[in-house]
Amino acid sequence: METIAVIFGGRSAEHDVSIITALASIIKPLELTRKYKVEAIYIAKDGAWYWDEKLKDVKLFTSGKIADFLTKAQPVTVQLDGGFTLVKTSGMRKQLKKIDVVFPAMHGTYGEDGALMGLLDMAGVPYVGCGVSAAAAAMDKVMAKQLAVANDIPVSNFLTFTKADLAREPNQAIKSITVSLRYPLFVKPAHLGSSIGISRVTNDTELRNGLEVAAHYDERIIVEEAVNNLIEVTLPIIGNDEPQAALLERPMTQAEDFFDFETKYMQGGKKGSGGKGGKGSEGAQGYSQIPAELPKDVYTQAEAVGLRVYKALGCSGTARVDMLIDSKSKKVYFNEVNPLPGGLYAHNWAKAGLSGVDLVQKLIVLATERHASRQALATSFSTNYLQQF
Amino acid sequence: MNLRGLLSLYSPRYPTTLVYMLQSTEYQAAAYLAWFWRTTNFATVTQRRSLDRTKAARLLLTALRIGMLVQIALGLFLVLAGARAHHAGVELGGIIAIVIYPVLWAYLITLPLQLGRVFISRPAEKRLINESKKIFANHPGAKIAVAGSYGKTTMKELLATVLSEGLTVAATPANKNVSSSHAYFARKLTGSEDVLVIEYGEGAPGDVARFAQITAPTHAVITGLAPAHLDQYKTLAAAGQDILSVANYLHDANVFVNDESPDLVPLLKPAYSRFNKQGALGWKVKDAQVSLAGTSFTLTKGRRSLPLQSGLVGRHQIGFLSLVASLGLQLGLTAEQVQAGIASTKPFEHRMQPYQLSGAWVIDDTYNGNLEGLRAGTQLLAELAATRKIYVTPGLVDQGAETERVHVEAGRLIAAARPDIVVLMKNSVTDFIVVGLHQAGFSSELRIETSPLDFYTNLNHFVAAGDLVLMQNDWTDNYA
Repeated sequence: METIAVIFGGRSAEHDVSIITALASIIKPLELTRKYKVEAIYIAKDGAWYWDEKLKDVKLFTSGKIADFLTKAQPVTVQLDGGFTLVKTSGMRKQLKKIDVVFPAMHGTYGEDGALMGLLDMAGVPYVGCGVSAAAAAMDKVMAKQLAVANDIPVSNFLTFTKADLAREPNQAIKSITVSLRYPLFVKPAHLGSSIGISRVTNDTELRNGLEVAAHYDERIIVEEAVNNLIEVTLPIIGNDEPQAALLERPMTQAEDFFDFETKYMQGGKKGSGGKGGKGSEGAQGYSQIPAELPKDVYTQAEAVGLRVYKALGCSGTARVDMLIDSKSKKVYFNEVNPLPGGLYAHNWAKAGLSGVDLVQKLIVLATERHASRQALATSFSTNYLQQF
Repeated sequence: MNLRGLLSLYSPRYPTTLVYMLQSTEYQAAAYLAWFWRTTNFATVTQRRSLDRTKAARLLLTALRIGMLVQIALGLFLVLAGARAHHAGVELGGIIAIVIYPVLWAYLITLPLQLGRVFISRPAEKRLINESKKIFANHPGAKIAVAGSYGKTTMKELLATVLSEGLTVAATPANKNVSSSHAYFARKLTGSEDVLVIEYGEGAPGDVARFAQITAPTHAVITGLAPAHLDQYKTLAAAGQDILSVANYLHDANVFVNDESPDLVPLLKPAYSRFNKQGALGWKVKDAQVSLAGTSFTLTKGRRSLPLQSGLVGRHQIGFLSLVASLGLQLGLTAEQVQAGIASTKPFEHRMQPYQLSGAWVIDDTYNGNLEGLRAGTQLLAELAATRKIYVTPGLVDQGAETERVHVEAGRLIAAARPDIVVLMKNSVTDFIVVGLHQAGFSSELRIETSPLDFYTNLNHFVAAGDLVLMQNDWTDNYA
């Protein structure tokens, strides 16, 4: 029986979302397969790692007893011994657990942005989801858009700034924005997920405030033109070389809204007109329409854009591509990529015909296939460099 | 019983487990004690449900705990007193008192129940039943008895629903189908009802004949015969004789029998009126269609034609619906009233009840408890289209000496439906079902679940759009 380590929590603003993703959408279905031994690894907000069966119980977190647990529990260490081994020491007793596959359930910084994947690559252990470069590119909104542009994938007009630029010459930044882009605009931190720090601005005063907010969260800021006649859609995808799309999903928000953190996670996604929708679905992130009711040609175009983005960024395992559609011009714009969709977007996959249990198993298979493929690559090369030194 | 099982007798949860076992067996001492002696580990008894802390349960639990504590205290006292007085016999008595308290109190707790039943419940019930006999005898309405090993509650509800479109109808509530519940039902009658529908819940030889004597039916509907309660009846023929004793009461007149029940056919007399999916009371069925939305067909008789649409799911429902529709017409309903009545029929809870889960369709038939219901369910599974068909069952309880035969046959029926996945809840009949599956050449995925509750509560993780899941039968803890 393979041992799967599910890593969740972490030093991220999306710490709490990660807990729910791990416990409800990954650990539970993995255990239901009865094919794997599942180990829960929780990274606390201070970055310490914990490994315990009790961490599989959502009540530990929802009741607030996690704080008490952490004061008593001993953090674990990881041994990179040609693999990934958990080491827990309590008194004279040392407990070791060799991990066969890692299933990251981390959202945001130090987890979804490639940092954890780098560690796992160093350990040489198979893991679920995007690799270092794809995760890093996906979580950098600027880099993702630049990669899309390089691959002829349409994106809305944008400009980028560093925090230092804004601190040094704020007026110059605002001037260049107002000259090059048209209101309304979106101001976003380049690296944060779950819509944290994002502002929609319609004039110079709001723009100035929006830049300040974004700079509070990130070193790099992106300012984008809003798409007119907006329909937001998102497409969960799985696969390595031959990605497979789920169903195009339309979050049911009003045109003037955007899907901010509050809407996504705190209000059950019911902001805007969603509550009135008759054909929506309660998903991991609230109310949405699955499949999105779009003209067939627009649906096909959006699906194709999603799959092209997935490949352009070098994604593997799973990711979710967000797109913006101008319903009048029927033009589809790439917006951003989420390399670990919240709750794996299992609600969408279920509607697409893939159950939660089958989804996690498929992701494990994809992880081991990618690992095997990488293991087959040559990583050494004989030279006489040392002898010549 | 291994060491872990032995230690479970002395666990703090043990008294709660005993009361749970009593409650689960509906406070029937014999069934409770049989379960008690079958149990090898009391820590694993509570699998499917937990103790419902009713007033009676709380009272019993308190009495049990106090009794056990008193006995332990007495035992300790004797041990200490014996040690002090150097009296080995007293010491031994104390040790015995401490050791045997779990078993002794498992019996003692049944004592107040037995006494209450003998001196209070039974005499009161007897008076009530005698009163009800007079009420039923004097009631001017048509009295339709519904008997059979399966389908009784469905038939009763269908009759009540459809006949209510044009008549004043009273029916026995829920699955209250024995003499004492008939008696409570009789007390609530006003005498102005046009029709009474009375369900007969047979459980042991002589039951149905007695129900007939008390309720004085004018009509009888026999829904089917299948192995059930064979622990009491011993043979299927004996169960059939008991069920058909209501026909004897009616001198074989106004007796309507489901002749799609293969075990019932050899027992039928020519005087009985038969019904099946081809029709009833001279009405013929045509253009039958079955889907998850319901069942539709047209009844025809001579030039008359009556299109009907029901929310009930499954071809096996057509015979029942045909009888109810034609009997409704016979009792004076108009065609429009019959159509409206049939249109308002919908699946009953846990009986071929379809619902959607994670995009999949699930048919909940967990109240089914016999082979014929299983046959109907598997035929439905075979008939409906789906990307992936999943069949889930723990097997059938109360099959007595027929257990092996019935479950091997169940395995064959399941295999014939060609499901993609079969999920069996691990218990004493699982191996028999597996034999049947293999005999019928089943080669798809077989999953044997050791934790049924975990499976049922997490079903949403197993299914996706396009899946069709049929869940049949229930296997409560007292059948462990």
